[in-house]
Amino acid sequence: MTAFLIRRIAFAFVTLFSVLTLVFVIVRILPGDPAQLILGDQASREAIEAMHVRLGLDQPILLQYASFLGNALRGDWGVSMMTGQPVLAEVLNVLPWTIELTLVSLALGIAIGVPLGVWAAVRRNRLADYIVRIASLAGLSFPAFVSAIILLFLFAIELRWFPVISAHKGSLQAWTQSITLPAISLGLNSAAYITRVTRSAMLEVLSEDYVRTARAKGVPQRIVVWRHALRNALIPIITVAGLYLSTLIGNSVLTEIVFSRPGLGKLIVGALNQRDYTMLEGMMVIYTLAVVVVNLLSDLAYGLVDPRVKLA
Amino acid sequence: MMKIFGATLVVAALLAAGGAQAQKKTLVIGMGSADAGKLDPHVASTTPDKGLLQYIFNGLVRMKPGQISPDTIEPDLAESWTSNPAGTEWTFHIRQGVQCHWGYGEFTAEDAAYSIKRAANKNTSSYSNDFSSIASADPLDRYTLKITLKNPVAGFLGYVANINGGNMVCKKAAEEMGDGFSKKPIGTGPFMFAEYQPQQYVRLVANKQYFRGAPMLDEIMYRYIPSDSSRDLAFQSGELDMIYGKQDQSWVDRTKQLEGVKVLAMEPGELSTLFLNITVKPLDDIRVREAIAYAIDRKSIVAFKGAGSSREAVSVVPSGYLGTDEHAPLFPYDPAKAKELLTEAGYPDGLPVKTIHTTLTGMETFIEAAQAQLKKVGVNLDIQLVEHATYHAQIRKDMSPLVHYQAARFPVADVYLTQFYDSASIVGTPKAVTNFSHCNVADDEIRAARVEPDSVKQKELWKTAQEKIIKAVCGIPVYEQLQLWAWKDNLDLGYELKGSLNLAPPVTEKTHFLN
Repeated sequence: MTAFLIRRIAFAFVTLFSVLTLVFVIVRILPGDPAQLILGDQASREAIEAMHVRLGLDQPILLQYASFLGNALRGDWGVSMMTGQPVLAEVLNVLPWTIELTLVSLALGIAIGVPLGVWAAVRRNRLADYIVRIASLAGLSFPAFVSAIILLFLFAIELRWFPVISAHKGSLQAWTQSITLPAISLGLNSAAYITRVTRSAMLEVLSEDYVRTARAKGVPQRIVVWRHALRNALIPIITVAGLYLSTLIGNSVLTEIVFSRPGLGKLIVGALNQRDYTMLEGMMVIYTLAVVVVNLLSDLAYGLVDPRVKLA
Repeated sequence: MMKIFGATLVVAALLAAGGAQAQKKTLVIGMGSADAGKLDPHVASTTPDKGLLQYIFNGLVRMKPGQISPDTIEPDLAESWTSNPAGTEWTFHIRQGVQCHWGYGEFTAEDAAYSIKRAANKNTSSYSNDFSSIASADPLDRYTLKITLKNPVAGFLGYVANINGGNMVCKKAAEEMGDGFSKKPIGTGPFMFAEYQPQQYVRLVANKQYFRGAPMLDEIMYRYIPSDSSRDLAFQSGELDMIYGKQDQSWVDRTKQLEGVKVLAMEPGELSTLFLNITVKPLDDIRVREAIAYAIDRKSIVAFKGAGSSREAVSVVPSGYLGTDEHAPLFPYDPAKAKELLTEAGYPDGLPVKTIHTTLTGMETFIEAAQAQLKKVGVNLDIQLVEHATYHAQIRKDMSPLVHYQAARFPVADVYLTQFYDSASIVGTPKAVTNFSHCNVADDEIRAARVEPDSVKQKELWKTAQEKIIKAVCGIPVYEQLQLWAWKDNLDLGYELKGSLNLAPPVTEKTHFLN
């Protein structure tokens, strides 16, 4: 277990270093000048060059890279070129919003997806199965921003149950107001995904010998399905849910925009539009870390649900 | 499962019921951007930032609220002013007792002098070019400011008005906060900066000590909502009182149908121009440029863009500016003449012309319409779409022989002519701004008009400059896009709104809700 963890952490460092280097190179290859974007279209070339000096963009590229890596190693992510605020502070400001949305929508996805997937698998090739399959396919194909607008129109404009601007905090009421529609919008998509994975994992397990044996022994159907079969089908579901968690963080950008919520997605899109190099680099570290950590947690979770898995 | 889901939704809805409504004393504005930029008036260059900062800052003078014409200039922080006959020495008498926000003390001539110097400094200002003619700005006493110019400047008062570099900052606050000033701007205006929540809003509170009287509103919530649809829905649900519209005609038509709503296409119009690089083949041939000018049908473009939100261009300078030739000799639509000219220039089978263009929706729809018009005469416009930041970078590197640009400037012809048509502003040069066409045919007139004290002669020089530029086809002006806004009709702005140089409706001490 310890050796496994050490190996994974070392691997994570290599991944981080590669990503940092790639990001550094890519953002500088992109056409577009942060100084021009800060100063606007009436700024003269002289003013833009003065801004380059202030931002350190007049330094040779290798020097910029060395200083960037040095700062990253010290945990100093610098300040945003656009706002002048520390990158870490900007990220931490919006991170709770993204984590909250991602976790609630994933929980919603699991709560809907796993039972539906099991239900469909047990009723394979019957009407219920067809309905679930079609519904999950529709859920997957439906863009999140379209479902978001429909939800807003229905629940915020027609029924007036929720506000359009879903970014309120402070009390349980405000929080509920803030999270419900965005979580449904994002959660329906993950529910569709998880339903399909659960169904196919369950179908495989349900045809195993030990399931047939359990049934032959007269174990009630409910116990066979939920205790014996589902437990063994959980590994692929956890893998997919884990991987999907990192996708959700990226997918949340559209949900954040439509529901006017703060979040990492909006921050990274803004940084990209404004060519905010320091912010982009800081954000990529966060994303890489998130994917690495989620993968690590998924691996650890295998051991918990399946004693046959040895982490070594 | 569906029952549980449904029940959760109902519980959530019940918990959420009775959510906060905008109070009568709070004005909630929905702006079309994801977040605030640099909230420093000497740096801010975007519509969202300029729109907000106008509520916090004053100029020495101001355009009457709701107006954009320099003819409406009236006192702001300066009660009165005088200048010598040559227009090179200006003395401003600063209003006494004006307080900077949050206890930063009285605004004096020293603050005004500091502010002018800050706006003229390329290290602290995006607008340093505008102030390059200033020789000195010094306080003569606590309430008297003297500005000396190296040469007379056309429409000088506009540069010290409440827009861009003319916004007055408080010296103590700006020095004390340094770079932090752009996240906590301190001015003297009717509203004071109170709170910023990233990607959500900026909250301003009333400046009870405002020199024109305490504002009738208590608060302005300036919300950042980048999605046009979400902004519209939040406006419909009553969460927003005023919104920045989606910049197209269908939005105007749709929003006008809502009850209790006012919609306005306001000034200034952003002039859409096709700049042709006169130094590269095949555009270095005047006949090719003329052919392109003859092939563009301004009337159809305006019909396509929507007559309620756009209008035909009148000259290479937007209409209504001091010095615009409102009846300039623009090329008429004449496709037959265009074909004839192309044949004469050696392109009987037509020719390709490349343009690098932004993906901004409003601008993209126009270039596609222009492409269709040009195709009729045999000009194949090869549109290379790139995202906005890339577009800005590449057109400044001369990578696009034809540049479509849309801009409004301070409404004096000199600003537009200098930035877009003076050879000193050619992209790639040290003083470069936005002369994409490498135009140099009217330098003499533009520069002479800039220092001409006689206003009649000055207008004559500007007229000649515009004629020369049109004749040389450095730029083909096509249409002007107005600024679209909507607000609830129970909001009384307190003035008649025709336009705003800060691109958002002003909110003054008199703005209030009727019920």
